[in-house]
Amino acid sequence: MLTYTLRRILGMIPTLLVISAVCFAVIKLQPGSFTDQYLEDPRFTRETAAAISRQLGLDQPALVQYGRWLWGVVTRLDFGYSFLQNRPVVSVIGDLLGWTVFLSLITLLFSWLVAVPLGLYTAFNRHGWPASIANFLGYVGLAIPDFLAALLLVALVLQLGGTNVGGLFSPAYIDAPWSWAKVADLLGHLWIPVLALGLEGVAGLMRQMRASTLDVLTQDYIRTARAKGLPQHRVIWRHAVRNAINPLISLAGLSLPSLISGTIIVSIVLSLPTIGPLLYDSLLNKDQYTALTLLMLSAFLLLVGNLLADLALAWADPRVRYA
Amino acid sequence: MLKRTRSMPRLLGLVTLALLGGALAAPKKVTGYGSLGITDGKPGGTYTLVLGDSPQSLNYYGVIDNNLGLIAQQLFDGLVEFNYATYKVEPALAESWTISPDGKVYTFKLRQGVKWSDGQTFDADDVVFTYDQIIMNPEARAGDAASFKLDGKQVDVKKVDANTVQFVLPRPSPAFLLQMRSFIMPKHKLLKFSQEGGAKPADINNAWPSNVAAAEVVGTGPFKLGSYTAGQKVTLVKNPNYWKVDGKGTKLPYLNGLDFLIIRDPQAQVAQFLAGNVDQLNISGAQFPDLKQREVSGAPFKVMRSTALFGSPPFVAYNFDAKDAALAKVFSDARFRRAMQSALNRPRIIDAVYNGLASLPGHGVAPVNKEWYTNTTKQLGTFDLKAAAAALDALGLRDTNGDGVREISRGKNLEFDLTYATDSSVYPAIATILQNDFGKIGVKVNLRGILAKNLLSTGQSGNWEMILHAFGDQPDPELRKPIWQPGGALYYWHRSLQPAKDGDRPNVARMAPWEKEIYTIFDDAATTTDRSKRKALYTRWQLLFAQNLPVTPIAKPENIGAISNKYGNYIYNLGVIPGYNPVPLIYQK
Repeated sequence: MLTYTLRRILGMIPTLLVISAVCFAVIKLQPGSFTDQYLEDPRFTRETAAAISRQLGLDQPALVQYGRWLWGVVTRLDFGYSFLQNRPVVSVIGDLLGWTVFLSLITLLFSWLVAVPLGLYTAFNRHGWPASIANFLGYVGLAIPDFLAALLLVALVLQLGGTNVGGLFSPAYIDAPWSWAKVADLLGHLWIPVLALGLEGVAGLMRQMRASTLDVLTQDYIRTARAKGLPQHRVIWRHAVRNAINPLISLAGLSLPSLISGTIIVSIVLSLPTIGPLLYDSLLNKDQYTALTLLMLSAFLLLVGNLLADLALAWADPRVRYA
Repeated sequence: MLKRTRSMPRLLGLVTLALLGGALAAPKKVTGYGSLGITDGKPGGTYTLVLGDSPQSLNYYGVIDNNLGLIAQQLFDGLVEFNYATYKVEPALAESWTISPDGKVYTFKLRQGVKWSDGQTFDADDVVFTYDQIIMNPEARAGDAASFKLDGKQVDVKKVDANTVQFVLPRPSPAFLLQMRSFIMPKHKLLKFSQEGGAKPADINNAWPSNVAAAEVVGTGPFKLGSYTAGQKVTLVKNPNYWKVDGKGTKLPYLNGLDFLIIRDPQAQVAQFLAGNVDQLNISGAQFPDLKQREVSGAPFKVMRSTALFGSPPFVAYNFDAKDAALAKVFSDARFRRAMQSALNRPRIIDAVYNGLASLPGHGVAPVNKEWYTNTTKQLGTFDLKAAAAALDALGLRDTNGDGVREISRGKNLEFDLTYATDSSVYPAIATILQNDFGKIGVKVNLRGILAKNLLSTGQSGNWEMILHAFGDQPDPELRKPIWQPGGALYYWHRSLQPAKDGDRPNVARMAPWEKEIYTIFDDAATTTDRSKRKALYTRWQLLFAQNLPVTPIAKPENIGAISNKYGNYIYNLGVIPGYNPVPLIYQK
């Protein structure tokens, strides 16, 4: 197991290298330059543009820029400078990482807690009207884009006279020290993004859970378990669910990169302090090292998520371990 | 200084008194704005505004960033500022100034007794440091080095005494005073990032990043930095050392705190305003009807329209140097541009795109700018497709093969691209109206949408045929010289006039006669100090502009702001206009 894990981790390095080269090339292929966005400012002249390009090393060939960045990463774990903010990329990302991880984990948790039981329920009670309602709501959740759900929720809150319409806190609490009142305020705001982001995932997960449970329920060992006279809850939890959940573990691994890119539009609509808009801005404004680092982070999370999913699968399913 | 005068003989008692009086009168009294509805307010309260994104830094001269600008104008002041009502330049950190008769030496007497927000004394060293080490530093990314080089020679700034600063110009520059609105920075905090303090020239950009300790950011402005929460909020608190008082002598600003919420989406900004979390918001014409209706039906806010001097009136331009030689020839013909102006339905655009919240444009000068505007309404003509068609016929641009599109030459249609910004609330609608109306007179327009931030670089690249764009209006035409003077860096519709190197003489030989005249006008006006002569020159320019249409202005949008009823003394302000900051007067009722 250990050698397997090590081999997988070492295997990531060439993959990441190739991904970084491709990402950098794509960023560089965008037309225009970093200084274009400033042209309209009366203070900005061609000399300023030249000075900025020189300061940022943008006057060097692209290969040199990439090489320097890579050298910095390898030797000093220095992921470069954010052009827009005049400070290291790592500290820019660090500012937003906490809330990003918090929000992603809580929405992931929410969609799992809703989707898995609902999937099981609809698998076991395929024909009742509650299942139809659950399916219908699941499809609605899938069909409505997350940002639209967010806008609708905001409109609803406004209509009902509420004031928690975006952000994670009321203005007064944003820079206040932590207190129970601040936590309460956070909870008052948090449900909108969690619902908007989580609902989209619910339908997919629920259908997946339902399908794989139905699959499992027709297997011989379930019939055997039932024939042995095991009580229903043991049949479900011990035999059905444990086998039905395997595909979902792989799915969970794949959802790690959505930490970064999953919340771009919702974060803009709901003014959430997450990494999504930073990626968007950096790509739009050609802040190349910020964009590159975020894309690398995303790729890294995907690889790590895959690895974790495989390990979790091996832990949950002996067949995988011995195969 | 005062101590020394006190110890002098009694004979000088009167002088002492006068000096003391001067020192006591140091705060600037802000009065005389009754016409704008300004009354004496009361201290206290917090006021919440929005930022469209996180500030990229807190160093105003380190990054060009509108969101930083909005914060910076609450933290810093310039030597001079605008009058809120007349836009005339009046004293700010400088109490008075003299200009030598030849217009080359500006001497500023600084306001005495002004303190930085950390209690240090503000003096001439700070002013010289700011201009010499930061603004004129070509490596400062948001500096303004080019404006302080006249005819290739550097403006010289020097300290005369602790309260006097002198600028010596290589040649007269009548708009120079307006440049003195630049924010003054604290030498005692920024010296270590400057060349004078031993750093590299580019190091100034690294001062005050957005995660800097709040106490480091020191200014003379009405507020000082309280805290910044990444991606969420910037909190400013009252600067107790601010140097303005109201008519009754109450210290300004009235407010104890000024908060900026970071909200990217314009709809989300409106939602937060309706929820009462934001107290003032600038909105677009498209959002006006909804908010106004809510106001009329009793919502606790007011929506105000203002015909402000600043703001960017959109125009269309035709590329005189279009890649297609036949198009370039037609586009360079003023008769063609005038013909197309008749097909420009300004009333419909004002009505449909701006909800009626716009008026007819000036030519390079806002109609509300009483000082410089010349009435050019007549030259705008009226919307008349028949006349437009007849004028195109007269130019020989006829539809000979009956396909509904005129031919520019045998077998080739009069067809071109209109480049416009898709991520704008007004450009797409205007572009569609233009395409539609032009189509009716047999001119085929294809829409080519790009991002707004790429408009100018696309314009300057020359890779376009017709473009829909806008440049901001400024109080003095001299400030917009790079745009409107043929051969200027932003005069991109006739790019072949631009010199190979910035600052060189443009290609005058290629200019049309009217362009030559405008070119000379701007050169003359830039060195003439006599006000009436300048007025005559700029009047002539506006008439030439209206007649020959280097670009065709479309409309002058009004500015619209919504303000909560909890606050008094609201004056519309567009955003980042150094020297125009009415927030110190706002008070909570």
